[in-house]
Amino acid sequence: MIRLLKLEYLKNLNYRPFKIFAGIYFLILIALLFVGLVDFDILGAKVNLKEQGMYNFPSIWNFTTYIVGLLKIFLGCIIVFSICQEFSNRMFKQNLIDGLSREEFIASKLLTITVFTAFSTLFVFVVTFILGKSYSATQESDLIFKEIYFIFNYFLKLFTFFSFLMFLSVLFRKSIFVFLGFFMIWFAELILSGVEKFSIVQKFDPKQPAEQINHTYLTDFLPLGSMSNLIPNPAIRTNMAKMFGMEFKFEYPFYSVIACIVWSIIFVAGSYYILKKKDW
Amino acid sequence: MEKILEVRNLTKKFKQIAVNNISFDVEKGNVYGLLGPNGSGKSTTFGMLLSTINPTSGHWKWFGKEGTDTETLKKIGAIIEQPNFYPYLSAEKNLEIVATIKGAPKQRIDQVLETVNLLTRKKDVFSSYSLGMKQRLAIASALLANPEVLILDEPTNGLDPEGIIQIRDIINSIAKSGTTIIVASHLLDEIEKICSHVIVLKHGSAIYSGSVDAMSNTKGFFELKGDDNIALISALNSLNIFASVKETDKLVVAQISEDMSASDLNKKLFEKGIFLSHLMKKKESLETQFLELVKQSNS
Repeated sequence: MIRLLKLEYLKNLNYRPFKIFAGIYFLILIALLFVGLVDFDILGAKVNLKEQGMYNFPSIWNFTTYIVGLLKIFLGCIIVFSICQEFSNRMFKQNLIDGLSREEFIASKLLTITVFTAFSTLFVFVVTFILGKSYSATQESDLIFKEIYFIFNYFLKLFTFFSFLMFLSVLFRKSIFVFLGFFMIWFAELILSGVEKFSIVQKFDPKQPAEQINHTYLTDFLPLGSMSNLIPNPAIRTNMAKMFGMEFKFEYPFYSVIACIVWSIIFVAGSYYILKKKDW
Repeated sequence: MEKILEVRNLTKKFKQIAVNNISFDVEKGNVYGLLGPNGSGKSTTFGMLLSTINPTSGHWKWFGKEGTDTETLKKIGAIIEQPNFYPYLSAEKNLEIVATIKGAPKQRIDQVLETVNLLTRKKDVFSSYSLGMKQRLAIASALLANPEVLILDEPTNGLDPEGIIQIRDIINSIAKSGTTIIVASHLLDEIEKICSHVIVLKHGSAIYSGSVDAMSNTKGFFELKGDDNIALISALNSLNIFASVKETDKLVVAQISEDMSASDLNKKLFEKGIFLSHLMKKKESLETQFLELVKQSNS
C-alpha cells in the first residue's frame, strides 16, 4: 500500500492540473467558509448569512458540508485529468508491462480518492468547528455534535462522487468525454426525476396527502440523486426561511447512504471490469 | 538449454485474425529476431505475452510458469512501439516510478542512465527529449530491474542513422552480457547484425522459427570478376559444381551446390588460366532469405 501511495505521489505531485485545481480548491474553500461574515445586497435588503444562523450549532455542520460539497468538482477535475492522462500518455499500458497489476492500478487510484476525500473532510471538520466555536449563538456541548453525522455524509458523498468520476474516466479515457458524459448523466437524472415526480403529482389523492408526500422516489437512488440527498440544501434552515414559515424537516437519509455505498462498489468494480476486458 | 519462453498455439482475433496459432520457444542467452512486415502480428504477440492483450486462445509459459503475472513482468524489460513516459516528469522521476513498480533499488537509476548516456540530462522533463533520447531512456527503463529477458519492439523506429548505431551498440553490449533478447523489427539488416535466431511472422502465422543459419537451405554463392567474363562463365560451367552461373552488373554470381572454399575455387580457375580481379564467398542476406520465405508461403 505504501508502494502504491508513493507511486501516486510521484505521478501527481508535479502534475500541473493537480497544482492548479488543488490551489483553486483551497482558495475558494477558505473564501466560502468565511462568506457568512460579509453582508450581501439582495434586492436592496441586507443579508448577512451569519445573522441567518449559518454559523449556529448544530446546523453549521449542514451549512458548511453543503457549501463545500459544491466545490468537489475542483478535486474531481484532478481525479479526471490524472486518470485520463494515464490513458492518453499510454502510461496505463506501460505500467502494466512494467509489472503493475490492474488490481493495483485501481487500488492506487482509490487510495488517491480516499486521501483527497479524507483530507477534504478533515479540513471541513476543523474549519467548521473553529467557525462554530467563534461565531455560533449556542455553545452547548450536546448541540455542538448533534448533527456531526453530516461530516460522515460529506465523506461518503465525496467518495461516491470521485468513484463515479473514476469510472467515467476509465470508461471514456478522454477528459472532454468524461465531462460531457457527466453532464449528460446529470441532465438525464434531472429529467427522469422530473418525469417521475410529475407522474406522481398527477395521481395525487387529496385523501391521503401525507403518505404521498413521503413517497420514496426511485430516481432518488440514481447516483447523483443519492449523493445530493446525503446533505440537504440548508437554505431552508436560514432564519429568513423560518420567517416565511418554512419548516426544516430532515430525517437521516439512511437509504441514500446505502445507495451511495452500493454505487461506489458498482463504480469501482465496473472500472476494474473495463480494465480487465479491454485490450491495451 | 533452459527455456525462457514456450508459446503454444497462440491466437488472437480482433475483427480479423491478428495472430494465428503460433508456437515457438525462446532459449536462454540467445538473441531472437521477430520478423514480419507491418501488420503481421508482432506487436499483438508481444501484447499478449506482456499481459496487455487478452488472448483468444492458446497458452504460454514464462520461465516454466504458465501465463504472465506481475512477478514475471518484473523479470522482463520491455519496450513497445514507442517510448512511453510521463511527459511532465523528469527522466529521473519517471525511472523512479518504474523502480517503484518493479521493486528495483533506487541506485540503479543512475547506473542505467549512465549505460544509455543520459546521466547529464536526468533532471530534464521527458517532453523536452529528442526521439533518440526518448528511445534510449526507454532502454534504460527496461534495464532498470536487471531483466532476464529484454523485449524490444522496433527499437530503432524513426531514428536517424546515428541514433540507430547508438541503439545497436547498446543492444549488442546487453546481448554480450548474456541477457536473452527478443527484438522485433522490419529492418532486416539490423536483425541480421544482432540475432542468432529468428521467428518469421506473416499474416499472423509463424512461417519460420529457428536459427538464422538454418533459415535458408542454400549454401551461399560466389561473386567473381575477371578480365574476360565470358571465358570466366564458361570455365565456371565446365567445373560442374554450381547450381547456376549468372552475370549481373559486371559481376558473375555462381550459386554453390557443393560446398567449396574460395581459395579452392581460385586455384581451379588459375589452373584453367583465368585470373580473377574479384572473388568473394557470400551468404544470402537475411533480407533475401526473408523475401524468399515470404514468397514461398504465398505459393
